[in-house]
Amino acid sequence: MGTSVQASQHLTIGKLAELGDVSANAVRFYEREGLMHAPAKTDSGYRLYDLKAVERLRFIKQAQHCGFTLSEIQVLLRLRDEGSSCCNDVRSKMIEKKLELEARVRSMKAISMSLDKLIADCSDDARPAEYCSILATLSGTNKSTSR
Amino acid sequence: MKIDLLQSSGCAKCLREISDLRIAARAVDPVVEWREFDILQAIDYAVELGVLKPPAVAIDGELVFASLPTPEALAAAMRSRLGA
Repeated sequence: MGTSVQASQHLTIGKLAELGDVSANAVRFYEREGLMHAPAKTDSGYRLYDLKAVERLRFIKQAQHCGFTLSEIQVLLRLRDEGSSCCNDVRSKMIEKKLELEARVRSMKAISMSLDKLIADCSDDARPAEYCSILATLSGTNKSTSR
Repeated sequence: MKIDLLQSSGCAKCLREISDLRIAARAVDPVVEWREFDILQAIDYAVELGVLKPPAVAIDGELVFASLPTPEALAAAMRSRLGA
């Protein structure tokens, strides 16, 4: 199959989607978002893609797996497309993403610790939910501390 | 006074500008504690400061510049703290 694709290099959207392991709708969505280039229609009314489109599609998918948003992927693709960009530009983007992720991890840990405290404060599991210290704390009226 | 500069390695332009910043800082405060960090080595500290992208400059543990300041801007920020 791979060789026949190599030979023709003209792929329908269905074939492109199959090689990129995404749906045809995903390809159309990426085109609308400006991540993929939509080729002009042929005389017979088909949009035919080349192998570079497969590579681009795989890049998008891989970047999504790494946690990049579509707008961030767009920036990475622009860096890839621009002749003036260098490896350090890409590395800088990765560092920015790492900082963002580390900040999010830190925030999630703080939330998790808050939950630990709520769980620890709720010692009486037999009381009706209306007296639950967790619900009271969340609503800002901690009745359990008054009694 | 303590100045922390967080940067990523491989930025040649930054290296030149950092040298000018160091000179400006020492002109304002000859005993300034000047520290430079590779942001990946000091990622926890960078996150604690709230750095979103390198390079960044913190004065006395507070993020003051989210990008490299000019030597004049750094000197002014230091003077304002010394005066406070």
